[in-house]
Formats: sequence, structure tokens, C-alpha cells
Amino acid sequence: MTMIEAEELGAIRAGFARLLSEKCSEAEVRRVMATESGHDPSLWKAIAEMGITALLVPEEHGGIGAGPVEMESVMEEAGAALLAGPLISSAVLATGLLSASSDADVKERILPAIASGETIASVALTGDEGLWTPEGVEVTAARQGNGWSLNGIASFVLSANVADLLLVVARTSEGVGCFEVAPGVKGVQLQPLETWDRTLRFSRIAFNGAEGRAIGGIDEQVVEHALDLARVALAGEQAGASRRIFDITIDYLKTRVQFGRPIGGFQALKHMAADLLIEVESATSAARAAAQALASNAPDKDVLINLAAFACADAFGQVAATAIQMHGGIAFTWEHPAHLYLRRARADAQLFGQSDMYRERYVAAMEKAA
Amino acid sequence: MTDSVDEIRKEVRDWLAEHWDAETGKGRSAGSVRDWLDHVIAAGWAAPSWPAAYWGRGLGKEETSAVINEFRKVGAPGAGQDRGNIPANSIMQFGSEALKRRMIPEFLRGAQVCLLYSEPGAGSDLAAVQTRADRKGDVYVVTGQKVWTSGAHKADYGLLLARTDWDAPKHDGLSFFIIPIRQAGIEIRPINQITGDSHFNEVFLDNAEVAADNRVGEEGQGWKVMQTALAVERLIMGEGAGERRQGSMKDNVVSLIDIARETRKIGDPVLRQEIAQAMAYRQLNALNIIRSKQEMAQGSSSPIMSLGKLAMSRILHGDAAVMTKLLGAASMLDADANPRAADVNYRTANAFMTSIGGGTDQIQRNIISERVLGLPRETEADRTIPFRESRAVKG
Ligand SMILES: Cc1cc2nc3c(=O)[nH]c(=O)nc-3n(C[C@H](O)[C@H](O)[C@H](O)COP(=O)(O)OP(=O)(O)OC[C@H]3O[C@@H](n4cnc5c(N)ncnc54)[C@H](O)[C@@H]3O)c2cc1C
Repeated sequence: MTMIEAEELGAIRAGFARLLSEKCSEAEVRRVMATESGHDPSLWKAIAEMGITALLVPEEHGGIGAGPVEMESVMEEAGAALLAGPLISSAVLATGLLSASSDADVKERILPAIASGETIASVALTGDEGLWTPEGVEVTAARQGNGWSLNGIASFVLSANVADLLLVVARTSEGVGCFEVAPGVKGVQLQPLETWDRTLRFSRIAFNGAEGRAIGGIDEQVVEHALDLARVALAGEQAGASRRIFDITIDYLKTRVQFGRPIGGFQALKHMAADLLIEVESATSAARAAAQALASNAPDKDVLINLAAFACADAFGQVAATAIQMHGGIAFTWEHPAHLYLRRARADAQLFGQSDMYRERYVAAMEKAA
Repeated sequence: MTDSVDEIRKEVRDWLAEHWDAETGKGRSAGSVRDWLDHVIAAGWAAPSWPAAYWGRGLGKEETSAVINEFRKVGAPGAGQDRGNIPANSIMQFGSEALKRRMIPEFLRGAQVCLLYSEPGAGSDLAAVQTRADRKGDVYVVTGQKVWTSGAHKADYGLLLARTDWDAPKHDGLSFFIIPIRQAGIEIRPINQITGDSHFNEVFLDNAEVAADNRVGEEGQGWKVMQTALAVERLIMGEGAGERRQGSMKDNVVSLIDIARETRKIGDPVLRQEIAQAMAYRQLNALNIIRSKQEMAQGSSSPIMSLGKLAMSRILHGDAAVMTKLLGAASMLDADANPRAADVNYRTANAFMTSIGGGTDQIQRNIISERVLGLPRETEADRTIPFRESRAVKG
């Protein structure tokens, strides 16, 4: 993994931000939200052409070979724009899993296609409980002939409805493993789920003797590492989204007039704004520190990743909800963007794990250090 | 940039290895603390970012941080006062050349100050002070009452905010002085605090005198000087100075995990959530401070610095609340026979120092929303009228 120079990273991020402001405006987000797939192939192509889908793919497999720091940074922009689609699913989670595997054939075959955006991969991790922990894995895999046969339920599978390739984490007699499954094969039944945040799409997948190919060298630890990568990316998304809806709110406070003056002059609102700024800045600091720690495999990596996971989720939730209150009635309308941020905040706070779990893990990691 | 940081770090490290004895916590050439500070000043470490002509070395922010860190590591005092020394900074920024030469070395060498700002009628509304300073030849004659003055009984000087013009609007009639505190016209009466200490005082000034040369900045510019002095003070509070009961538990920052182990509540899942949240607030503030220093070192201004004090107030109150839960019934006890309880009780009371002193949480929120976020200012009924016609004076 190479750390990109700060200047180069700044340029990538700025380019991405420009692309999103052109092609992922609020109007576009709303348009894509209303489509059946919740995915915009032309935007996806443009994102891939910029190299965003290649960021985490190693150079020898046609990627850029960057790391969590770079991914976190661009995810701040993705979050601000409420980008819909398979970025976290394919370019972070699936890429993280495959890059850490020891399976040369799979890497050579799949990673270049993920990097170029041609292949969209989705990772099936958890069952109906939505735990994102080893105990939560409900699919089982057993040897059958030369291959493997998969059975059971995976749910909350992010962006699986548009995936060309499923990576299915399953239990085997030798522990947790990961299997490559083509979405169209016999024994795979994919049911898109209705979601409250229509910019995020999940599927429930029933495996009934579906044929899978084992991917070498993926165990619980590798899965956990890929999840950490996804958590850092998600923290970046939450930090970026918090900042955007906060900025939108502060602008409104300066222009909306009641009782003959801008409502931003009312102390109740000023004080809410000051408190929210602490949350927004803390989320940014936490997400970036977690990315640094993961990139350098720092001793306090677990502390910082878990901290970012709950601090960013909670900050986004609080900022998005308070933003609606501070706007008043206008933000109760479908046309106003505030609820889009609230929807994303609520979903993000469940994805890959919940704040209470992260807080528990954070104390546990702190205990180890104490 | 990093090269020069490494170079400086090495130079400081070598210098400290030669001059500082970490075992005894003293300079190798023995002598008093004052002698040590002289040494630090001569080497340019006391204020590394200031120009060489002013006790410094003209270092950048990152290099200065490196100097401070090296001193901190070995526990040597005196470095980096260009960040934390309130009088030295105020004089450096606003004082006359003569005042700089005469007084800055004294403060770098550890002269003690107290802050003569608040009055019975002027707390949050500091610009309403009514202590008067009247020019009589080479001196100003000062009369009035100050209150909540921390450390006045131990101070050599007071940083005094006083009114020199009663016809100007409230902010424009103020001047800032450095007044010698031990003189006939100044009486200090200790006030008992909720912590049981009496660190702060009432200070009565009755025809006290201060040399006109000890005015910092021009007459009428006191409010501007005040802002700098307050900013330094809030920065210090944002990093969590003075949490603990003096002479009590070993560390300033007490580990909630240690207390939870001690009280055998470390396994309680509900308390673990609260411990995590309290520790998180502290760590997030530390991460914010690190990031803002990085941003400032790269030359961009950072709004985060103004958040630290408000964040720290939540941290200290929160810590004390969780500690109290961990102690349970034992938190009703106190005194030396119950050191843990005494420490937590102290923290519970002392957290209000950070949420009230140096500008209350509410005032901090006003400042953040106005100066950082650009929201409209609070209305101030007496902002533009001559001060003598304001309600503060007329009642
Ligand atoms: C431990 C400690 C040490 C101190 N040390 C010093 C010192 O060394 N030197 C010194 O000069 N002072 C010192 N102070 C004084 C301190 O700066 C003042 O107490 C503080 O600024 C508040 O002023 P006040 O006490 O007069 O409260 P007030 O200003 O009367 O405030 C009362 C309440 O009204 C609220 N309030 C006031 N104005 C507004 C507003 N515009 N918007 C919203 N709410 C408002 C306040 O937040 C507070 O809740 C110290 C205080 C403490 C607690």
C-alpha cells in the first residue's frame, strides 16, 4: 500500500467533488432514488474513470494501491453528496476482502475489473439478525465434488441488486470462509428489500445448494479487517454528510427571517449550532484518525476505529435530526433535502454494526491498553 | 519542512540531555527554578516562535510544537510560553518596545499574575467594568472592585481591565494595564469556593497606582488587548488545565477504567457504555486539538481551537458524573479518609470552573456561533451609547 502525497490526494478529492457537484446534485440523487435499481450506471462510469473504484486495488492488479486515508477522504465527499450506488460495497468491502485473500487466481481475474468499474461486487455477510459479526453469519458451505455448495440466508446485502458478483461469507466445518458466487446461478434467490433510505439498497438472498468457488485465505480475521476498512469509509461518509447538512442549516439560519430578524440571531438556535459544530468537527477528526491508524496498523487501531464508528454515527444522527428542527416546517416537506440526510444517518448507524456495540468494543480496547 | 522539524527536535533533545536531569527533575547546574528558566530563555526555547531579537528563534508552528513536546517528555518547565503565557503574549502583541524589554523577561522567568477583569457588575458582560483609571502625570490612579480574582494573594502583578473614558461607548473606553499587586492601595480578601479551596478573591483598589508606561496598547484599546488575553486563557482551559484536587490522586487525568476496576463495576454493561462515551468525548477533543494544530501549521486558520473550552466543560462534568455512579454510595463520603470520594467530589464541584470561568458555556456558544459560524450578534442595549448613560452606571 502506498500513501499518496497530500497534494495528489487533494487533487483527487477536489476532482471527485467537482464530478459529484455536476452529476450527483440533489436533483440527480432524487432521480436515482426513484429508479428501480437505485444505481446510475453513467455516474458509476465517470467515478470509475476518475480512479475512485481503483483506489484500494493494489497496483499489480490494475489499481492505484492507495489505502484507508485516501478512501476516507473521498468518502467525505461521497457522503456530502449522498451518493447512491455500490461504492462502499464494491470498491471498499469487496476490494478489501479480495486484496487480503491469498488467492492469486481470483485476484488476477476479479480485481482489475473491480478497479475499472466493469465488475460490481457485493459482499454477503450477515443473516436476518443483521449483526455483522461471525455469529451473525447464517450461510453454510459444504464441499461438493470439486466445488462447494451453499445453503442459508444472507440479508442486508448492500447493492447486491446491481452486483455482477457475490462474495458470500459462510460457515464451513473449518471455520468461516468466503465464496465467489455468480448471482444468476441455480439455487440463488435474490429479493430486493424495501428501504427507508432509497439511496441505499439491500437484498435478502436465499442460497439453496448454490454452487460457489472457495476464495483462498479468507478467515474471520480477514473479514474483520475488510469490515474495518468499510467502517472507516463509512465514518468518512458520515463526517462528510454531517458537515454538508450542517452547512445547509447554517445558511438557512442567516436568511430565514422571523420576528423581524434572521432566525440565526435567536440564541436557542445559535447554541444548538455551536454544539453541533463540536459534533461535526469531532466526527471529521475521528474518521481521519481512524483511517491513519488503520493505514499504519497502529497499536491503537482498534481504539480509534471503534471510536470513529460510534462517534461519526451518533454525530450524523444528531446533526441530521437537529437540522430538521432548526429549519422548521420547510424541512418536514419531501422537497427539502434535510430528510434525505436523516434517512442516510439512520441507515448508516445500523450498517456494519451499531453504536452500542462499538462503544463496548472501544472500552474493551481501552481496557487492554490500560 | 519535516527536515527542519527533525533537526530542531534533535537539537532540543541534545540540549535537554546536556542540561536537564530527568531523575531529580532539576537543571544539571543545580540552582533555582529561576536559574533554569534563565537558561531556557537564553537558549531561545522559552518562546521559540518569536524572533531572535525577542527571546525566540523565529521557528514555525511545527518546530515550536516539537520543542514543547521534547520539554514535556522529560518534564522540564519553561518552554513554549509563546503559546501559554498570558501576560507575555499580551505585551508581545500590543505593548510598547520599552514595556516588552522591561517586562517580558520577568514573565518568562515566572513572575505570577492574576486577572483583574471581573467585577460584581461585569461578568459575562466584561466590557461593562466600572473600575476607573485616571491619568495623573506619569501614573494612573485606580479605584474600584474586582471579584473572582484567582491567585491574587500569590500574584506579583495584576492584568487590569479598567475604564479610562466614560463618555465613549462601553468597549471603546477601556484600557489594559499591568499593575503591581503588592501596594498600599490594593486589598485582597479571599473567597471560599464550592470546592473548599479559596483560590479566588475579592480585590479592592483604592487609589492604587500604576505607571503609565505599564499600559498595554493605547488608551481606549483595552478591549482589543483583552481579546488576546482571553483567547490564550481559553486555549489553556480547552486542553484541560487544573482538573484535580491539589495534592490528591497521582494523575490529573484519572482513568475511568481504573475506578471501575477498583469499584468492581468494570463488568456492568450499562456503566461500560457510559464510560465509553465519557472517554470518547475526551479523546475526540484531543483529536480535534491535534488536527487543528496540523491545520494551523499548514497555514490555514482552524475554527476548532475555539471549541476546546466548551468541549472540555462537557468532558469534565461528564467524567465527574460517571465517576460518581461508579463510586455509588461512597460518593457521599469525603476527606482524607476517603481519598477516591474526595477526589471525585472535588472534580464534581471544580468542573464548574471550566463551564463558568473564562467565559461561561453560554458565552462560548455565543462566540462560536457569531465568530466561527457568522450568525448575527446578540443584541446589546448599551453597545453604542456613552457608557456613563448606560444602565450599568445609571441602574
Ligand atoms: C473558578 C473561577 C475562577 C475565576 N477566575 C477569575 C479570574 O481570575 N479573574 C477574573 O476576572 N474572573 C474570574 N472568574 C470570573 C468569571 O470569568 C465569571 O464568573 C464569568 O465570566 C461569568 O460572569 P458572572 O459570574 O458575573 O455571571 P453572569 O455574567 O452574571 O452570568 C449569569 C448567567 O447568565 C448567563 N448569561 C450571561 N450573559 C449571557 C448572554 N449574553 N447569553 C446567554 N447567557 C448569558 C451566564 O451563562 C450564566 O449562566 C472566575 C470564575 C470562576 C468560576
